[in-house]
Amino acid sequence: METLLWQVEQLPGLLAVSRSGQVRDWDPPTLDRALQWGRYFQHLHGRFRAQPRLRAALGQRLRRGQQEPPLGFGHLGRCPELLGLALLGNRALPPAACHRLLRSLLLPPSGQATPGPCSLGLLARRRAAVQLLLPPPSPALARPEELELEPSLRTEAQLLLSRLQEDEEEEQGLAGVLEHLPGPRVYRVLAALLLEQAGDNAGREGASWAELREGPRLAAAVLSWLLGDPGRLSAFCRLLPGSLLVALSARYPQLGTPYLHLLTSWGSRLCYDPLRGQWASSRCPSEDELSWEELRERFSCFMRGPAPLREAALASLKNLKIQDGDFEVCGLSVWTDLLLEMEAPL
Amino acid sequence: MAHDTAVPKLSFQYWLDKAVEWGQTTTLESQQDVCLHLPKLQEFLQQIYESLKHMNSTTAIQRFPLIGQLLGRLCWNPFVVGYDESQKTLMWCLCCLYSNEPQNPVELKANSWILSLLCHLLSSSEWGANEVGTGTFISALGYTSADYYSKLVKNIVLSLVTELKGNQFNGLNVQGRVSDDHVNVVSLFCVPLITLPDVTPLLEALLTYHGGGSQEVLSSEFLEAVNETFLKKKITLSESAILSLWLRHLPSLEKATLHLFGRLISTQTSSLEEVACIIKESLLPQAACHPPIFRIVDEIFKNALLETGGTPEVMTIIQVFTQCFVQAHQKDNKQHKFPLKAYFPHHHHHLVIALLKHPFDLPATLWSQHLKYITDMLKAIIEDKSIRSYTDLFESWFLFVHFGEWADIAVEQLLKSEDESSDTFLWLLAFYYNPHNDKEQRTQILVEARAVYDRLMMLFSCTTLSITDLQAAASTKTDKRQSCTKHLVRHLLISFLLFSSGGHKIAQEFISHVILASNTTNEVFGLLIRTAYRFNQLGLKNQRTVKLVNELLQELRFTD
Repeated sequence: METLLWQVEQLPGLLAVSRSGQVRDWDPPTLDRALQWGRYFQHLHGRFRAQPRLRAALGQRLRRGQQEPPLGFGHLGRCPELLGLALLGNRALPPAACHRLLRSLLLPPSGQATPGPCSLGLLARRRAAVQLLLPPPSPALARPEELELEPSLRTEAQLLLSRLQEDEEEEQGLAGVLEHLPGPRVYRVLAALLLEQAGDNAGREGASWAELREGPRLAAAVLSWLLGDPGRLSAFCRLLPGSLLVALSARYPQLGTPYLHLLTSWGSRLCYDPLRGQWASSRCPSEDELSWEELRERFSCFMRGPAPLREAALASLKNLKIQDGDFEVCGLSVWTDLLLEMEAPL
Repeated sequence: MAHDTAVPKLSFQYWLDKAVEWGQTTTLESQQDVCLHLPKLQEFLQQIYESLKHMNSTTAIQRFPLIGQLLGRLCWNPFVVGYDESQKTLMWCLCCLYSNEPQNPVELKANSWILSLLCHLLSSSEWGANEVGTGTFISALGYTSADYYSKLVKNIVLSLVTELKGNQFNGLNVQGRVSDDHVNVVSLFCVPLITLPDVTPLLEALLTYHGGGSQEVLSSEFLEAVNETFLKKKITLSESAILSLWLRHLPSLEKATLHLFGRLISTQTSSLEEVACIIKESLLPQAACHPPIFRIVDEIFKNALLETGGTPEVMTIIQVFTQCFVQAHQKDNKQHKFPLKAYFPHHHHHLVIALLKHPFDLPATLWSQHLKYITDMLKAIIEDKSIRSYTDLFESWFLFVHFGEWADIAVEQLLKSEDESSDTFLWLLAFYYNPHNDKEQRTQILVEARAVYDRLMMLFSCTTLSITDLQAAASTKTDKRQSCTKHLVRHLLISFLLFSSGGHKIAQEFISHVILASNTTNEVFGLLIRTAYRFNQLGLKNQRTVKLVNELLQELRFTD
C-alpha cells in the first residue's frame, strides 16, 4: 500500500516535468518510461475507482503535490492524455524522443505493441466537427437565454461540475479548485453553471448533464462560495451583464440582496458634476466602481425582471432616497435621479 | 521501387490545386466540391501513407516534393480533417515525415512545422492563447482538449437538435429561429461527419426536419451520403429517420432497393430464412408500410422481373419480400394505417384478398379449395375477352408472383392428393411459369405437363424405382420445350422425389447424377429452400420429408 501511495505521489511531478524544459534531457527510453507510467496510472484509476476509501487516500496523496489547483483521483484516469498532449506541445523535447512520442501516440498499433493510450484521431475529428458545426459566437451576451445556448461555456461548466463532483467524492471542499481557476473566465463559467443547474433547467436536457446528478446541490455550494467573499462577489457582478444577474437572482434568491447591496455601494460613490450636469466617478477612480450609465442600465434590468425583484429594487432606491433627504430635485441624490429614470418609462 | 507506382505524381498536383482552391474560397459551391471529393482524397492519402511508411523523411521529401504543401493545407481544412478516417491518415503521414535525427536547418524547420500542425489538429498547445481563455481554464481543471471537445461536440449537436425541433413546433406562424438556408448549410457540413457517432442525433433530426416550403431544405450531397453510409452499414439510424430519408429523396430509395437486390443476388444464401433476414435488415419492408414507398419498391421488382424474363430467383425474392412486408404491416401500430389490399391496386379485390390469406392462416384441408378459388378467379380474368390487354394479364401474374407460396402448395397438392382438381392446379402452374397470352402455347404446355404428371402419378405408389424410370417419366417427346415447361416439370419432379415413397429412396442419387449434370443446380436448390422455408414456417421438424429436404440441401451446399 505504501508503495502504491508513493508511486501515486510521483504523478504531479511527472506532469509538471512533462510541461517543463526538463524534458530537454529525455531520450527515447525515458519517454517510453513516462508513457508507461501514464498507462499504469490509468490502470490504477480503473482498479480503484469503485473503492471510495482507497480513492480518497490516493486523492489525498495526489494533493500533496502542491500544484494549483490541486490534482485529484480523476487525474490518474486521464493521465495518458494529459501526459501525451503536454509532451506533444512541449518544444523542449529532443527530436529522437519526440519521434518516439509521435509513433507511440499516433501511429496505428502494429502487432504486439500496446494500443495507443488515447484516441487522438477522434480528438482531431471532433475538433473539426466543432469548427464545422459551431455557430459564430453571438456578439453580446445580453440576454441570459443566449448564454444558455453558448455551447463552449456550457461545456466548460459541465467539466467544472464534474471536477467538483470528483473532488466531493474524495471529500474535498470545492474551494480548493475554485480558488485557483483563472479569472475572469471562471466567473462566466460559474454563471453558466448556475443558470443551467437552477431548478427549472436542471435535468431538462438530460443527456449532457445526466452524469452530474448532484448538479443542483453543487450549484448551491458554488453560490455560497461566491457569496462568501466580497471581492469575489464584486468581481462576479462587475463582469456579468445586468440581465444575466437578474435572471440568476430570480432563480437564486440568496444572490438578489447582496447584488443589490453592491449596486448601492457602487452608486454611492458617484459624485454629481454640476458643470457637466451629470453623475461621474469619484476623483480617484478605483476598480470597484460603475459609471452612471451602467448603474442605470443595471437597475433597469431589475425593472424588467420578475415582480419581487423589481419591488425590492424600487424599495431599496426609495429607502436610500429618504436617507438622502428625500428631495425631488435632480442632481442632489443619485437615488432620486435613478428613481426618476426608472419611473419615467413605466 | 514498387511503392512509387502506387502514387502517381500527377495526383499530387491535382490534389494540391484542389486544396489551394478550397482554401481560398468558402462559397457553397467550393464546399460542395470538397464533400464530393472526400472519399477519393481519403483513398489518395492512404496511398501516400502506404508509400511513406517505408521511407525515411529525407527520401520522402525528395520523392514527393509537394507533400509538405499538400498536407499543410489539408490539415487546415475542417471538411478534410473531419471526414471519416482522413484525420488519422493525415497524422500518420506527418509522423512519417518527422525526422528523429535532423541533420540540417531545413529538417529542423520541417520537424517544428510538423509539430505545429499536429498541435493545431489536436489543440494540444496554444489553445489557451485565445482571448476567452478556455484552454487555460480546462487545463487548470485537470482536463485535456480531448475531454473538452468530446463534450463540446455533444453540446453543439444537442443545441442544434433543440433548435431544429423547436423550429418544427413553431410551424409557419411563428418566425423560426433557423432559416432554411442555415439548415441546408448545416446538412452540407454534416457530410464529412456522418460516421462520427456524436453527430447521429443531428443526422436524425435533420432527416426528419422539413422546412417551411415544399422544397427540399437538405443538401442533396447530405442525403446521398447518409444513404450511402447507411447501406454500407457504417452507421445505424432510427427507423423513422431512414423512412424520412427515403420518403423525401427518391434516388436514395431506389439505391436502397437496388442495393438489397444486388446483395440478395450476389451473396450465397443457404436458406430463405437468411434471405428474409437480409430483407428485414434493409428496413425496406418496414418502410414499405408507407404506400408511396411500397409502390416504388414494387415497381423496381417488376422491372427486375421483366429484365430477367421471370427468373425463379427473382420470383422467390419478391415472394419473401412480400411476406416480410405483410409481417411488418401487421406489426405496425400506427393509428391510420392503410389496409393491406390498398397496396395491391388490382381490379379484382377478391383475388387480392384471397391471395393475402397466408396458407398457414388456413387449415391444410382447405388449401385445395382455396387454391381452386384463386385459380378460378385468375382464369376468369385471363380468359375474359373484354380485358385481354397484355398489361392486365401481366398485372395479374405479377400479383400472383408476390404470393408464390401458393404455387408451391399447388404442386404439393397435385402429388399428395390425386383429386379432380389436377387440371386446375396444372393450369395455375402453367400460368405461374408462363404468363404469356398465347393460348396455343399454354395448351401445349398444359398437354406436356399433364403427360409428365400422369406418368409420375403412375410411379407414385411404386416402392422401388430407378433413375431411368424417373428420367423417362419426366421426358417429353418434343425437345423444343420452352424453359417455362422445363421449370414446371422440374418443380413436379422435385416434389415427386420429396413426397413419393419411391422417390425418397432415389432422391439423393437422382440429385447427384441427374441434376448436377444438367446445370440446373441453382434452380433445384431454390425449389428446395422454398420447401424447407415453408416447412419451417409450419413448424414441421421430424417428418421424413423434412429430413430429406435438409439432407438434399446439405448435399447441394457441399457440392457448391
